[in-house]
Amino acid sequence: MSIKLKALLKSPWVFHLSTGSCNNCDIEILDCLTPRFDIERFGMLLAGSIKHADVLLITGSGNRKSMERAKRLYEQMPKPCLVVAVGECSLSRGMFIHSYNCPIPIDKVIPVDVYIPGCPPKPEAIIAGVVKLIEKVKKGTVGK
Amino acid sequence: MTREEVLCDLRKKFKDDIVEIIEKHSKRIYIEIKPESLVKMASYIFKDLKARFNTASGVDVRYHVEILYHFLIEDINLLVSLRVKLQKPKLEIASLSPIFKGANWIEREIHEILGINFKDHPDLRRLLLADDWPDGVYPLRRDYKEWDKNAIRDRGV
Repeated sequence: MSIKLKALLKSPWVFHLSTGSCNNCDIEILDCLTPRFDIERFGMLLAGSIKHADVLLITGSGNRKSMERAKRLYEQMPKPCLVVAVGECSLSRGMFIHSYNCPIPIDKVIPVDVYIPGCPPKPEAIIAGVVKLIEKVKKGTVGK
Repeated sequence: MTREEVLCDLRKKFKDDIVEIIEKHSKRIYIEIKPESLVKMASYIFKDLKARFNTASGVDVRYHVEILYHFLIEDINLLVSLRVKLQKPKLEIASLSPIFKGANWIEREIHEILGINFKDHPDLRRLLLADDWPDGVYPLRRDYKEWDKNAIRDRGV
């Protein structure tokens, strides 16, 4: 594991991007930050700017307009970086798969490292997903 | 002014314009009107009955396209929906945005999504659809067909 990734895992700063979700996943992500779940004890913080972030956390089904912006955000991220897709919509677009506005799933546009299914996923599931991501990085299978 | 007085007033004033009045329940009435008398009636409800314009909604019901303009008369808590039926293929109606500005954006949205031409609208540009969306393709029409060749419509499993 490179020194960059090792430093990243100590305190991964997360940028939260909603590409047209119903806000339910976003609420669950905010739940993770509350004292009950408190993911800040793992060093995870929400970053205000994509240029400070190590992890891009995507929710939503990725519509035509927002995927342009998501692509631009991914390009601005300092590398190496990790991408987490949260919720059924960002995995396979869920019930919006035949929508005129969601032609392409997110993982065909941006390389996604970990998928957290659920509609919405519980905060426990989000934490479990992040733990799996950290293990994967330690094994060296993601985050080149 | 009570609900009965409002209804009586509308029936008297717009005898020739109203096609049908449906009293759904105590807080909601639907008034179907002729398309050409929309401006007259909407401005009466907005200015004289002091109603608030909530929004407009459009729906394609195969043979015609309906637009519903929802007004709320707050004093008596009554939701009045003006229903206009537009026969295909001539989808054209007068715009309400010269009367109240709240109609501006919703008319733009109905224009791009259902393809209804609002006459005298000050600025009928595209509002929400993507920039590369082709002209003349209206996503919520019944006869909408997929135009995007790159679209992926399976779950990949």
